[in-house]
Amino acid sequence: MSERTTGTAIAGLGMTEMGKVYGKTATQFAVEAITAAAADAGLSLADIDGLLVNPGVKNDTDLRLQSSLQMRDTRLLATIQGFGSSAGQMVQYASMAIEAGMADVVACVYADAPLKEGKRSSDAYPGQARAMVGTASLPFAAGLKAAPERYAVAARRHMETYGTTSEQLGAVAVAARQWATMNPMAQMREPMTLEDHHASRMIADPLRLLDCCLVSNGAVAIIVTSADRAAGLKQPPVHVWGWGQAHPGYVQHRDSEFGLVTGAAKSGPDALKMAGIGIDEVDLRQLYDCFTFTTLVTLEDYGFCAKGEGGEFVASGALAPGGSHPTNTGGGELSSFYMWGMTPLSEAIIQARGQGGERQVDRHDVVMVSGNGGVLDFHSTLILSPHQKGR
Amino acid sequence: MALAAVIRDDHSAPFFEASAEGRLLLRYSPSQDTWSDPAALVCATTQADDLQWREAAGTGHLVSWTIKPGRRRDDVVTPDTVIGIVELDEGPWLTLQFPDAAQADLAVGRAVRVGFIQPEDSEHLPVGYLA
Repeated sequence: MSERTTGTAIAGLGMTEMGKVYGKTATQFAVEAITAAAADAGLSLADIDGLLVNPGVKNDTDLRLQSSLQMRDTRLLATIQGFGSSAGQMVQYASMAIEAGMADVVACVYADAPLKEGKRSSDAYPGQARAMVGTASLPFAAGLKAAPERYAVAARRHMETYGTTSEQLGAVAVAARQWATMNPMAQMREPMTLEDHHASRMIADPLRLLDCCLVSNGAVAIIVTSADRAAGLKQPPVHVWGWGQAHPGYVQHRDSEFGLVTGAAKSGPDALKMAGIGIDEVDLRQLYDCFTFTTLVTLEDYGFCAKGEGGEFVASGALAPGGSHPTNTGGGELSSFYMWGMTPLSEAIIQARGQGGERQVDRHDVVMVSGNGGVLDFHSTLILSPHQKGR
Repeated sequence: MALAAVIRDDHSAPFFEASAEGRLLLRYSPSQDTWSDPAALVCATTQADDLQWREAAGTGHLVSWTIKPGRRRDDVVTPDTVIGIVELDEGPWLTLQFPDAAQADLAVGRAVRVGFIQPEDSEHLPVGYLA
């Protein structure tokens, strides 16, 4: 990794209303979020000369968002699709472009509108639509279609290998809900118990309804710029200290670590090395939690506990308010809202700035953010801080 | 949940010709003496590009599984669906539906035999049976 000069920082955050918000397209949500992010930073849309667009599962928006924003002479423009790892990837590509002098102010946005009024959430993501043609279709034909059953197979393997239990997965959900009760933007703010988790209906054994994330309409945008420029803007800068990506490439073959080890095991240490810190120096964790199991296995792979001990770790109350390892302090995708990697990233920015209100964590000098896409296939990591690196 | 119908393409035609005869084919690299799953375009372990179809034993063991609960709608009861990852003796993994498996019988390492079922308007598809 080459020596970086002043580095980059996140200077703006824009979040639309999220959840069961109808009547807007993904593009309309995206424009609203970017406009809000620019205003949050104290910039105008005309200051933005780079745009990275991450459409969600519905794939309803793309780099043509430039036209919707009436942007001209854009110097960096792309659709980014790394599924749940996209938000972290966008910050990385934006930072590299800024440091290379390719752009000065880059807006990164995720937007999706899968929920339709009068339709159930489960209809929003009916599983990967593909023609059942050829041998590549065999897993789908067998019934492994949507995300819950695919993650269920991963979770079951972890449970059988390490003794992880449904109760331990439930502890992840309960901790997330405890945080969500303090987040005005969270979709699910009613208190929840382990008993509620166990009583929720089975979606795909071993995953129950309360092991699964929400489905949300909305958008989140951020503004990335140089640390020097961010220092003169409206909000406290959130500095980008380090990053990593790791995409394990699980092959359908003997020795595959699917369900046991994820890309976090490589991406996390790479990001920490770039940041020049150790895992013990991380104050806060904002982890991609499409399912409770994802949180648990990411904690193991980042090194917050030993491999196979994630169940005991989360059941200890470490993640919850007052716990030793505050995690997903906005309620995460499980209880707050589902904006892919922008869910953990937005909460990381809020906490790093010290703007978490009732849920603000005292120690917020170093925040670790994960993004996870596919079925544990794609991973990105960010290390963020309110302090400039090395100062 | 019933198996969904699958139709063949050029790549899969030999696989489904064999499945109709109750034989399981996998992709095999003669230069590397390695086996890959039926959808592989290059070798899963060496990325060799000389894959060809070769008959496998059709036996393996259970790696992991999920159970999708059955549902009752308008007095029509859909049974639970067991879907498992099977590691074949040759090495490749197959994701298979287990038509007869009970939850209590599922365990990592359980021996599995591959059989075939033909859904309506479909090729014969592989399924798993606990041995």
